[in-house]
Amino acid sequence: QTSTSKSSLTKKIMTTGADVRDILELAGGDNDAGPISKKDIINSDKKKAKKSTETLTFKRPEGMHREVYALLYSDKKDAPPLLPSDTTQGYRTVKAKLGCKKVRPWKWMPFTNPARKDGAIFHHWRRAVEEGKDYPFARFNKTVQVPVYSEQEYQMYLHDDGWTKAETDHLFDLCKRFDLRFIVIHDRYDHQQYRKRSVEDLKERYYNICGKLTKVRAVSGTEPKIYIFDAGHERRRKEQLERLFSRTPEQVAEEEYLIQELRKIETRKKEREKKAQDLQKLITAADSTTEMRRAERKATKKKLPQKRETEKPAVPETAGIKFPDFKSAGVSLRSQRMKLPSSVGQKKIKAIEQILTEQGVDLNPMPTEEIVQMFNELRSDLVLVYELKQAHSNCEYEQQMLRHRYDALLKAGGAVTPQSESGGVPDSQAWPGPDDIKTEAKEQIIDVVGAPLTPNSVSRQNDLIIELQVFAH
Amino acid sequence: MSGGVYGGDEVGALVFDIGSYSVRAGYAGEDCPKADFPTVIGVTLDREDGTTPMETDGEKGKQSGTTYYIDTNQLRVPRENMEVMSPLKNGMSTWHYNIPAFFLCKTAVLSAFANGRSTGLVLDSGATHTTAIPVHDGYVLQQGIVKSPLAGDFMSMQCRELFQELSVEIVPPYMIASKDSVREGAPASWKKKEKLPQVTRSWHNYMCNTVIQDFQASVLQVSDSPYDEQVAAQMPTVHYELPNGFNCDFGAERLKIPEGLFDPSNAKGLSGNTMLGVGHVVTTSVGMCDIDIRPGLYGSVIVTGGNTLIQGFTDRLNRELSQKTPPSMRLKLIASNTTVERRFSAWIGGSILASLGTFQQMWISKQEYDEGGKQCVDRKCP
Repeated sequence: QTSTSKSSLTKKIMTTGADVRDILELAGGDNDAGPISKKDIINSDKKKAKKSTETLTFKRPEGMHREVYALLYSDKKDAPPLLPSDTTQGYRTVKAKLGCKKVRPWKWMPFTNPARKDGAIFHHWRRAVEEGKDYPFARFNKTVQVPVYSEQEYQMYLHDDGWTKAETDHLFDLCKRFDLRFIVIHDRYDHQQYRKRSVEDLKERYYNICGKLTKVRAVSGTEPKIYIFDAGHERRRKEQLERLFSRTPEQVAEEEYLIQELRKIETRKKEREKKAQDLQKLITAADSTTEMRRAERKATKKKLPQKRETEKPAVPETAGIKFPDFKSAGVSLRSQRMKLPSSVGQKKIKAIEQILTEQGVDLNPMPTEEIVQMFNELRSDLVLVYELKQAHSNCEYEQQMLRHRYDALLKAGGAVTPQSESGGVPDSQAWPGPDDIKTEAKEQIIDVVGAPLTPNSVSRQNDLIIELQVFAH
Repeated sequence: MSGGVYGGDEVGALVFDIGSYSVRAGYAGEDCPKADFPTVIGVTLDREDGTTPMETDGEKGKQSGTTYYIDTNQLRVPRENMEVMSPLKNGMSTWHYNIPAFFLCKTAVLSAFANGRSTGLVLDSGATHTTAIPVHDGYVLQQGIVKSPLAGDFMSMQCRELFQELSVEIVPPYMIASKDSVREGAPASWKKKEKLPQVTRSWHNYMCNTVIQDFQASVLQVSDSPYDEQVAAQMPTVHYELPNGFNCDFGAERLKIPEGLFDPSNAKGLSGNTMLGVGHVVTTSVGMCDIDIRPGLYGSVIVTGGNTLIQGFTDRLNRELSQKTPPSMRLKLIASNTTVERRFSAWIGGSILASLGTFQQMWISKQEYDEGGKQCVDRKCP
């Protein structure tokens, strides 16, 4: 038993720590004498690694970190994760296998920074392996290219009345120090020695000089691209911004109020136009059906079928009732065709019934072919009449309202400026004398909109009633 | 600290942040200073007149007959002839130490870095001053700096006056041998220590100040809206006990005293109404900057400094600023939650900066300083 425990103990010793092996100078498991790499610690499966490389559509360039690459070319176009994880295994938390290789020693070594001008020597901790290599952060030492002009160039091209050479030199010195951050340059500008300059002045002078220098130094024949700085535009823009920022809350409230008012006016205008359109449609429908009927009757009387075909304008669906065309196969009851479609409202049904009973027409006549057709037409016309009546009464009511308002305004005198808001009833309906009202109170908003009722529609009602009488008897 | 991961490179730099209340010092790369001690120096005098000690240029800080003590037991224990002075006023020179390189950076920039921003308005409310400093792209815009003396010390002064009004004596702990528990509001009953050495006035004052500062930190609160008598009367009271046993519930006074920070028109002890409240300080500072960067400044207002840790400070500041800024402006207040981060944000910024690999080229080495002198400091340090 003791022997087995001893052997197990030694086995344990052997499996933990390459260091121990190193010390005891035992032959190690894998003989990779090279430096430790991520794979050894995390032990990514080689088979899996092969699979993943095959499925990659674009080959990741050498040396680019996987996470950076994933940011550039992700298949799912997801947002990159906030904490990039390093587990290539998926959901299993990977245990780091420490101690599998030799220790890499660190050394406190001196280094010079090539970005420094004085060659000062500092010390820091680095891996012994990397002794002698370049300082990796020196490559971040980038500066903005600020043009440098000679004395001659200044005298020849860059002379300006508002700027002395000393001031220009000072400006360029600051530009170089602060990498063209004009706000900081403006802040650090020597205002005691030189005049007080605004940011736009500085920018203007700088870009002016840059432009001139590029032109002068350009190889003859080429057209160099010059950045034009529009100082006037910048100044105006900033002034506008100032005004915007320093608005008082009252001004802001006023602006919002005005915008709201504008929106209200626009919606009301749209409503009016819509109503006018509806009315217009109704009337044209009424007119067209009348025309159509007359033409038909004439045609049937004269027995000329051609007119029937030519005069058949499209009747809009809003006018009257459209009875569904029965296209049934086989046998069906004709009375079905007489049935009112469900889209007709209660009010209209009631109105139809009322007129029919008034005129003494049977509500459910015998469904012969001719009767069915005429009955349907009749009811359709009745609905049309009803709608027209409604529209007519609406317009009359509006007329009355406006008349009252007009009278009231006249009484109050022209000094009263009427408010643009009105309660529920929108104003439409061309009043006989809109021009008078307009000249009197200019602020008053009157839309000359709304289809004037054609005399046709009024006589139309009379026609229909006559038809009814004819039909009944 | 491997270099490639986040750009860090450890060169063993030291970071010092010397404020008017405390000094923070430690190693770069750490997240909190190793040493944080008050900015006072105790000087024992061997001479008779007991006036301010001699200046210390050129020497290693030791003069014959005077020894300096910083934050040691020597300072906290009563001693004879121990004068307390501030190194900032009297000036201490450090050039005699063998420093290979150094760099000076403005605290506002470092506070901004510590909060992850390179542009913003840093509002630093410390012991002596409340300042608003606009920082743009890592550079301070000097023409936009606004300073106000209403800060921690002002609060302490007001607390002192409050105690005077209540006829309560401030007794520092070193004098107390024993105390009895008394009823609320009753005068304290305590026994003075025997054989107390003859301490100097400055040292006694310093000890009393610590008591008041403790009161200030635990009791005071800033109200959400401008101070209103009725609202204040309804606030819950806080019980506080002084070292000598005097205990009391403080209600309306809790809110009244810090109100002076935000609305100095009613505060006692201020000459005239020329002082700016904290909200005004911020808006004035931003107003002095170019209009293009104003949204950037309002979008990151960084609040630092020990005085801002008063309960309710940031909420009130947020409210005041949102009232004063134009409605289209996006306002964001950045205030770290822990006391460590707010008090030490400048130090932490310095620690971050000094540990960056890309910073190592910016040190001013001894050689450069010898050649260039002060001008090179002006040029290289932003």
